[in-house]
Amino acid sequence: MLRVFDLALGYGEEPVLEGVSLEVPRGKFVSLVGPSGSGKTSILRAITGLLTPHSGRVDLTDGQQSVGFLFQDDALLPWRTVRENVALGLRIRKVSKTTALTEADGWLNRLSLDGFGRRFPHELSGGQRKRAAIAQVLALKPKLLLMDEPFAALDAIVRTRITQELLNWVEREHLSVLLVTHDLEEALTVSDTVYLLSQGPRARVQTSYEVSIPRPRDIFASRRHPSFVPLLERLWNDMSDAMSSPQV
Amino acid sequence: MRRLLSLLVLTVLWEALAQFGTIDPFYAPAPSEILRVVISLFTEGTILGHLEATFTAALAGLVIGLVLGVFFGFAAALIPFVADVVEPVMMLLNAIPRVILAPLFVIWLGIELPSKIALAVVLVAVLMFFAVYSGIKDVNQLLVDRVRTLGGGRMILLREVYIPSVTAWVLGSLKVAVGFAFTGAVVGEFVAATRGLGYLLQFAQSTYNAALTMGLIFLIMVFVLILFVAAEAIEHWLLRWRPRGAEEKSA
Repeated sequence: MLRVFDLALGYGEEPVLEGVSLEVPRGKFVSLVGPSGSGKTSILRAITGLLTPHSGRVDLTDGQQSVGFLFQDDALLPWRTVRENVALGLRIRKVSKTTALTEADGWLNRLSLDGFGRRFPHELSGGQRKRAAIAQVLALKPKLLLMDEPFAALDAIVRTRITQELLNWVEREHLSVLLVTHDLEEALTVSDTVYLLSQGPRARVQTSYEVSIPRPRDIFASRRHPSFVPLLERLWNDMSDAMSSPQV
Repeated sequence: MRRLLSLLVLTVLWEALAQFGTIDPFYAPAPSEILRVVISLFTEGTILGHLEATFTAALAGLVIGLVLGVFFGFAAALIPFVADVVEPVMMLLNAIPRVILAPLFVIWLGIELPSKIALAVVLVAVLMFFAVYSGIKDVNQLLVDRVRTLGGGRMILLREVYIPSVTAWVLGSLKVAVGFAFTGAVVGEFVAATRGLGYLLQFAQSTYNAALTMGLIFLIMVFVLILFVAAEAIEHWLLRWRPRGAEEKSA
């Protein structure tokens, strides 16, 4: 589904990342964790074409149009109603206005936002705006979902609920996912594979971890699986080592 | 309500002080006298031709200035070559009190309407240029990224992000632009004209007619306020997507 080969990128002379290779197989959930400034978000931006890498290659089996990107902030257009925001991607792809808005209404319904379609984003709560942002991305039926700490700004209860709902959706639709997160527990709870980046500059993939918790996953039940705590401890220790030894 | 009451109290106080002779009517005539003068301007029909001249100059200046300012603002923000040419000129014009261009426009365009319109245009266009230029430069990059990741190209970005984003800036500046347009028209008439409220002001000044001077100032204030309120209503309606706090902040 997605293969990244030897990616190097940065915002000036010195590369933030170097020699990064990773893979997101079809139908798999992959997380990317690492110290702050290690370039996790930059990898997602390079995959979507928002950032041009210095070198390396990004292979998307189903093309750029198959990718959906969920930002950390909801990024809804403030001057469009919620249903217009959800329909936006469809309208950009030349779907007729009526069809796009009907589709949007369907997605709002699926994400428990029926009745909120004609409101503006500022009239919604944080959790509702996040659901609207998810609907906006899923309306395009992506095969690969890139998520950049999408639930970081939400409170714990809302965050857990939305994460579980999205996880259910991903498993049901066999979507491929690449999630960037600071939350190691979240990464292990939802993922099949977790990649750990080293400390930047010149960060690279330090280690990868295979998560053998069976699917479908429940957020709470996963944390009680026998493999969870040992894996978390290993990841925690490796990340602590990565943070205390900067890349030369 | 409290503010209106304060204005009323001040006016009544002024009237009382004028009636008792505490204030010299040569310098500050009683409000009742000013009102009488204003009413007589309308009942005698003296003012109509002058109103028409000032309004024509102000509104023409506002519309042309708006179009030019928005056009060049967009062009400069999106095309570096245009920015290289236009921005320095706008910065120079912004640095000076632009009303001092009035005598130059009289020399170039004569004492009739075109020189007044030109001054109003310059005042409005520079304001709008920077509103649009800054608005585009400060557009929320996250929204640009959002539309790009949804597959939007340059025209879609213009329609869905840049234009709506800049509209807020333009509408916020429109209220100020209305005042500027009238300033341009009136100052242009004050410098040299054969009609208009500025010309009448010049006449009132030359005859030391404080009542007429204040009456004309009052009239200009009323007209600008009406247009200001109209511009604000348009802003509220077009920007109804904004949270209430943002509206009050910009007001």
